Amino acid sequence: MDIIVCMKQVPDTESRIKVNPEGTGIVTEGIKYVMNPYDEYAVEEALKIKEKFGGTVTIVCLGPDRATEAIRTALAMGTDEAVHLNDPAFEGSDSFTSAKILAGAMKDMKYDLILTGKQAVDFDCSQVFGCLAELLDLPYVSVVVGLEISSDGKTTTARRETEGGMEEVIETPLPAVIAAQKGLNEPRYASLPGIMKAKKKEIKKIDSAALGLNADEVGEKGSKLKTKNFRLPPERQAGKKIEGEPAETAAELAKLLREEAKLI
Amino acid sequence: MEITREIFWNVGHWVRWPVYGFGLIVIIIFIFGLVKRIRLWRIGKPENRLDNIPRRIGALLSFGLFHRRILKEPYPGITHLCLFWGFLILLLGTILIFIQEDLTKLIFGKVFIQGNFYLFFSLVLDLFGLLAIIGVILLAFRRYVLKPDRLDNKPEDLIGLILIFLVLLTGFFNEGLRIAITRPDFEKYSFVGWEISKLFASPERSMASLGGLHATFWWIHLLLAFGFIGYVAYSRLLHLITSPLNQFFISFAPSGEVKPIPDIENQETFGVSKLQDFTWKQLLDADACTRCGRCQDNCPAHLSEKPLSPKKVIQDLKNYLTSQGKNLGKGEDAEEQTPPISGNVISEDELWACTTCGACQQACPVFVEVIDKVVDLRRYLVLMESKFSPEVKLFFKNMETNYNPWTIGFATRADWAKDLDLNILSEKSDVDYLLFVGCAGSFDERNKKVTRSLVGLLQKAGVSFGILGAEEMCCGETVRRIGNEYLAQILMQQNIELFTKYGIKKIITFCPHCFNTFKNEYHQFDGNYQVFHHTEFLWNLFKEGKLRWKTGVEMTAVYHDSCYLGRHNNIYDAPRRLLASIQNTRLVEMEQTREKSFCCGAGGGRMWMEETLGTRINHMRIDQAASCDASVVATACPYCLTMLEDGIKEKEMENLLTVFDLAELLEKAS
Repeated sequence: MDIIVCMKQVPDTESRIKVNPEGTGIVTEGIKYVMNPYDEYAVEEALKIKEKFGGTVTIVCLGPDRATEAIRTALAMGTDEAVHLNDPAFEGSDSFTSAKILAGAMKDMKYDLILTGKQAVDFDCSQVFGCLAELLDLPYVSVVVGLEISSDGKTTTARRETEGGMEEVIETPLPAVIAAQKGLNEPRYASLPGIMKAKKKEIKKIDSAALGLNADEVGEKGSKLKTKNFRLPPERQAGKKIEGEPAETAAELAKLLREEAKLI
Repeated sequence: MEITREIFWNVGHWVRWPVYGFGLIVIIIFIFGLVKRIRLWRIGKPENRLDNIPRRIGALLSFGLFHRRILKEPYPGITHLCLFWGFLILLLGTILIFIQEDLTKLIFGKVFIQGNFYLFFSLVLDLFGLLAIIGVILLAFRRYVLKPDRLDNKPEDLIGLILIFLVLLTGFFNEGLRIAITRPDFEKYSFVGWEISKLFASPERSMASLGGLHATFWWIHLLLAFGFIGYVAYSRLLHLITSPLNQFFISFAPSGEVKPIPDIENQETFGVSKLQDFTWKQLLDADACTRCGRCQDNCPAHLSEKPLSPKKVIQDLKNYLTSQGKNLGKGEDAEEQTPPISGNVISEDELWACTTCGACQQACPVFVEVIDKVVDLRRYLVLMESKFSPEVKLFFKNMETNYNPWTIGFATRADWAKDLDLNILSEKSDVDYLLFVGCAGSFDERNKKVTRSLVGLLQKAGVSFGILGAEEMCCGETVRRIGNEYLAQILMQQNIELFTKYGIKKIITFCPHCFNTFKNEYHQFDGNYQVFHHTEFLWNLFKEGKLRWKTGVEMTAVYHDSCYLGRHNNIYDAPRRLLASIQNTRLVEMEQTREKSFCCGAGGGRMWMEETLGTRINHMRIDQAASCDASVVATACPYCLTMLEDGIKEKEMENLLTVFDLAELLEKAS
């Protein structure tokens, strides 16, 4: 079974995010980039399926030069091949355009399953893989916490989380796009021989020309969404503790909610 | 009458030849057995333990001949000393007789064991023979009547003790019978034989029957003694050879130093999976162990009912070595198929239970090294198989991403110092000292207070120092002990690059783990610094009069020794002197203190692992602290501080005990 895992490199969740003075993006200096945590579940799931069914696992990553570090991490975990969609023209692509680029790269690839994380923790749009499934005309199941592949490798049964603590069980034919949620598995830690081997593996680099895409079809120009500006959320205020008799505190709370928070 | 005795008296001089024959056979059996073991040690990798020979001989004399470590426990120590010296002197006596009979007398016709020397010789041999008998009886009494938990009894123990006892007893009976028959007055110097002779000195007994009895005992004695020699190389008696060898091959490296995996980028396997991955010295360790069990009596993991006993680990390795010895030379295939030691010979739970506190090594009379083996076996689990708990995985990920074990962004590392106006080295690097804050001091709320206290004291004393700020990274100590040598080396090398960039030569730390690794391990990567733990540094400032305590603190304090400060780096006095220097402070000691101190449970990476098995080690230490009438526990290590404070909270003893770092107490006093 040949599996593609789409992986993105994102700022570490503990990074201190600062907006640049122009308000056009974040200050990237001093940020540590890591593999998107949800994509780790996708990599792990792909490796587990490969251990059972054989085949190859290929990482497809859309991102700038620095993303090679995350690709090496995925290779160290045990994935076989890697495709790096890397072109300055890709910068600023929105979810749809990103999906277009990914779909373009997958056109000539052989795969039975596409796995990815349910969202990237940088922009949290959670849209790319809906778009990708549409472009490739494949079924799409997201927020998956359990995945079974039928023994003939033709269908998959996915358990997905829904609101209210419920779960849906969805059966789809393969190939399909499956997006992983935390809890799907416990991602492995790369062994040192794995890390050493990953250092020597070739990463196939693909730019927009190789995909047959014009520069104005990708990146900011090719995007339907335009980002007007970035700003940080207001700093969280310290909590307030209201003390006293229940009747008094309730009145005080109502007053504060109306006058200070302006919520009621 | 001439004052001497005839060798081979009564049994006839012809026995010389069968004795040589037997002796030769027995020595061949002994050498054969020994060579078999030596060949097993030699499957290990090379390691140089032949440097500094004079110091090695010194160690052999002091720890072997004079039992310096063994005597730390009086009963087993003194009894073993009696047996050891008794045996040694009897052996020397026998050698002297051999020299006389087979060299000086045979060739030059010269007998030198005669006259006054004979009397002296007889007295000394009888005295030491008696000591040996007393020793062997008391040792057997301890083993089979007192039965301390740490001793496991195997047939070889009983056989060994009985053999020794009978050899000694028959020897004395020989002497007694000879004296009973020949009755020279001067033999009263052979005072044990003299007394025994009285048992046989009855007029009814014919000389002939006594002569027959003597000959019988003589032969029994000879056969038992030869049997003993033959048995040595095939039983625990091998420790007669291996224990002194191990004392000779003692490590001179600091006990807190973990050896690096050299040239890690170009290795194919990491850590120890099979016996061949150990060094020869690590394998000799297994054979040097006498199963005395002092290690486990001092092991916090064992005492808190974890599955780990250092004795069991070493014995399991020894038995595995013996069983694997049979596969030797059967080609690579047989070797390749052996399952890894970690998880098969030594269980994963055993390996993860070790706090690397070093109490086992400190107690071992024959210097068996345990920590290196635990780390090597962990390395295999971590680097080759990625087998560790989810907490450890999170710990590694945090280290990789944010260079600290807490899940906090590296950029906030110096936030504790925001309002303090400190020198950050990237802005001003011409300072005398680097204050290496460490992860706990930078990120842990409780330990940040310690950092601030320390900074206050240093500023008061006018010390010129700076911090690395957000550039500082974990020193790598804990990562290394958990077994992730690769990540540890990355952290260490990145810190060294920083130190070099700012020209740092002197480092102050308040974490003994940072202290130990800078002091004892960074040299492995060409990072050589003068490193001070804050207790030493503050004590020096106090001595120089740069720090004075104005108010003092009214308290009874007990100092808890950190393993990496005390046992691994011999800093016991500076913290105690500092405490004692505070006015109105009374210093008391726990029962387990200084080199016998009991670990807080956090070393060896245990700080970052759940403690699900047995009793909690920190609870045990809190009980020890509570039983000594102190209201304050003083620590000098952020791990100890956290563990003891957690223990007090969990045991709801906040009213009885409070934990402070020394720096906090000193700041209070000043």
